Amino acid sequence: MTVNESSVRLLYWAGVALGPAAWAANLQGVYAISHLACEKAMWGGVALSTLLVLASLAGTVISARAVRRRAGTEWSDSAGGGPRTFMAWLGVGTGVLFALVIADQLLAALVISPCLR
Amino acid sequence: MSMAVEQKEMRDDALHGLQLATRLEGIWRTPSGLMGALMSVDHKIIGRRYIVTAFAFLVLGGLLAILMRIQLAGAEQRLLSPDLYNQVFTMHGSTMMFLFAVPVMEAFAVYLVPLMVGTRNIAFPRLNAFSYWMFLFGGCFLWISFAFNVGPDVGWFAYTPLSSLQFTPSKRADVWAQMITFTEVAALAVAVEIIVTVFKQRAPGMTLDRIPLFVWAMLVTAFLVLFAMPSIMVASTSLILDRLVSTRFYDPSSGGNVLLWQHLFWFFGHPEVYIIFIPATGMVSMVLATFARRPVIGYPAIVLSLIATGFLSFGLWVHHMFVTGLPQLGAGLFTASSMLIAVPSGLQIFCWIATLWDGRPVYRTPLLFVLGFIVIFVIGGLSGVMVASVPIDTQVHDTYFVVAHFHYVLIGGAVFPLIGAVYYWFPKICGRMLSERLGRWNFWLAFFGFNIAFFPMHILGLMGMPRRVYTYTPEMGWDRLNLLSSVGAAIFALSFAVLLANAIYSLRRGMPANDNPWDASTLEWATASPPPPQNFDRIPVVTHRDPLWADPNILPVIAGLSAERREVLLTSLADAEPQIREASPEPSIWPLLTAIATTIFFIGSIFTPWAVVWGTPPMAITLIGWFWPTGSKEDEE
Repeated sequence: MTVNESSVRLLYWAGVALGPAAWAANLQGVYAISHLACEKAMWGGVALSTLLVLASLAGTVISARAVRRRAGTEWSDSAGGGPRTFMAWLGVGTGVLFALVIADQLLAALVISPCLR
Repeated sequence: MSMAVEQKEMRDDALHGLQLATRLEGIWRTPSGLMGALMSVDHKIIGRRYIVTAFAFLVLGGLLAILMRIQLAGAEQRLLSPDLYNQVFTMHGSTMMFLFAVPVMEAFAVYLVPLMVGTRNIAFPRLNAFSYWMFLFGGCFLWISFAFNVGPDVGWFAYTPLSSLQFTPSKRADVWAQMITFTEVAALAVAVEIIVTVFKQRAPGMTLDRIPLFVWAMLVTAFLVLFAMPSIMVASTSLILDRLVSTRFYDPSSGGNVLLWQHLFWFFGHPEVYIIFIPATGMVSMVLATFARRPVIGYPAIVLSLIATGFLSFGLWVHHMFVTGLPQLGAGLFTASSMLIAVPSGLQIFCWIATLWDGRPVYRTPLLFVLGFIVIFVIGGLSGVMVASVPIDTQVHDTYFVVAHFHYVLIGGAVFPLIGAVYYWFPKICGRMLSERLGRWNFWLAFFGFNIAFFPMHILGLMGMPRRVYTYTPEMGWDRLNLLSSVGAAIFALSFAVLLANAIYSLRRGMPANDNPWDASTLEWATASPPPPQNFDRIPVVTHRDPLWADPNILPVIAGLSAERREVLLTSLADAEPQIREASPEPSIWPLLTAIATTIFFIGSIFTPWAVVWGTPPMAITLIGWFWPTGSKEDEE
C-alpha cells in the first residue's frame, strides 16, 4: 500500500465526521452571536456558515475519493463485508446532507431580520 | 503455570451436540428459586422483566388517559378536581415518556441485541441487572407518591418557576425530579451496555455493513441517550438543589435564569423523541424485510438516515421555545434544522415503500402494524413540519393541535411499530405464536381508535382549545369533537385489551413456535424459541448481511470458547475479527443491593441534604461487594 492509498483509507469516514461537526459549529456559532446581531451587522456569521458548508462538502469529497474504485459494490451486493467502503458511502451522504442543512440555516440568517424578536 | 492451566481447561470444540448444549446450559443457567431470580444477570430474563414492567406502566398511564378523556368528553364535567387533573396529566406524560416509551425500547434491545449479534450475553450483565432494579424502583417511587397524593402536578416538563419552591411548596416537584434521576441512571446503564455489545461482541464476520438494522438503530439510540440524558439529570438535580438547599440556578432575582431550565430540558427532550422513534424504525426495517420476503432496499441509505437523524436531533430543541421571546434569527436556525430532519426520515420511508413494492408482501399482523405506522407517522411528520414554522407554532402553541401532533408522532411512530414488534418477536421470546385472528382485531381497533381519538384534536387546537385544561364551558363549542375523541380513546384502549388477552391466551394455548417461524434472516432466529441460557451452542460466523437467507441450510460456526465457565468472544470494531476471550460475570445479588442503597440515597436526598452523607456508605459497601475479586481467571488471549 502506498502512502497515498493509506491516507485515503485512513480518512474514508471523513464525511461522517466533518458534516455533523461543521453543522454543530454553525448552529452553536451563529446561535451564540444571534443575540448581538441586531446591534451591528454580523457578516461574520454568513462567512462562517459559508465556510462550514465547504467544510462539510470537503468531507464528502474525501470520502468519495476513498470509494471511487469500489463505488458500486455497496449498492449492487447485499452481502456486505466491505465496512470501509460502507463507511465512506455514509461519509459521502452525510457530508452532502449536512451541507444542505447548513445552507438552509444560512438562508434563514439572510432572510430574517436580526432585530426581530 | 498458566500453560498448564490452559491445557486442562475444556473448550467447546471437545464437545458436540446434546453433550455441549447440556454443559453450556449448566454454566449459563440462572439459579432456581427466589434468590436465583433476584441474582439473575441473563439478558433474556432481564429483558423480559423490563418489557413486562414497561407494559405494566403503559397500562397505568393508559388508565390515566382514559380518566382524562372521560373528564373532557363533555363540558363542565366534575369527575376530576383541578388539582387531581394536574396530577393525572403530569403522571400520564411522565409515565409514558420515562417509564414506558424509553424503557420498552431499551428492553427489546436488552433482549434482542445480544441474540442478533450472535453473542452469549450482553456486555456488563450486572450493570444490566442494576439498571432494571433502578428503573423498577424509580417507577414504583413515582406511583406510590401519586397514591399518597404527592404525585407531581407540574407537567412532564416541570417548567420553572412553576416547579420552584415558591409555586410548588409540597414535595410533588421533587418526586418528579428524582424519578428522572432513577430512570436516567437506568437508561444510561443500558446505553453503555448496548454500545459495548455492538462494538465488541459481534459474531466473527459481522462487519459494520452486516449489522442488522435494528442493532444499528439501537446503537444510534444508545449514543443519543449517552449525550442527551446528562442534560436532564443536571437540570433535575439543580432543581432539587434550588428547592432543598436554596441554590439559585433558576431564580432570576439572584442571577439565575428560568429559561436555563427550558434549554436544559429540551436539549434532552427533543432527542428523547428520537430515542423513542429510532428504535421503532429499526423494528420496522426488520419486520418489513421479513414480510416483504426480500432484504430492505437501501441498507446504506437507512443507516445514513439513522446517523443523520441522531445528530440532527440535537439541533432542534429551540423549536419547543419559539414563544419564549428568543431572537427570531436564532429561531430561524432551528426552523431550518427542524424541517431538514424530515429529509432522513423521508429517505427511510421511501426505502421501506420501495422494499414493499419490490417484494412479495405477506400481510400478517406485524406488517399491518408497520403499514399503520407509515400512514400515521407521515401525518404526524406533516404536522411537525407545520409547527416547525415559527408563525404557525406561535398560533397553535400549547393548544390541542400540538397534543394531536406529538401523539401522531409518538404513538404512530413508536407504539405501532412496537406492537408489530411484539407480534413479530413474541414467538422467539415465549416459544408460542400469538393468535393471528386476535392480532387483526387488535390492529384495526388500534388504527381506527387512534385516528378517531387524535385527529379531532387537530381541529380542537385550531379552534383554540388549550392543553392541560381540566374542563371547558359549553359556549366554547368543543364538546362534540371532544366526545368523538373520547369514543376513539375507548376503542384504542380496547385494542390494548385485545393485545393483553391475546398474549395471555397464546402463552397457554398458542401454537408452538419453531426456531424461525417467519423464515426471517437474522441471527436471533438461528437459535431455539425461546433461546437457551447460552443463546447459541456455538458462536455463528457471519458471511452475509442476511445470514439465514444466504444459505438456509448452513450457518458456519466457530469453536474454542471455554466449556467450563461463562465466556464471550470479543471482536474488532469494523471487521469483527476475533480478538480475545472474555469472562462473563456470574449471577450476583450485589446489583440488587446496590440499587436498594442507591434508592435510599436518592429518595432521602429530596428530604434532607444529609442523605448525601449517610446515604453514601451503604452504596460504597454494596459497590465494594459488587466488585470484590472472585478469583476467576483473568482475560486470556
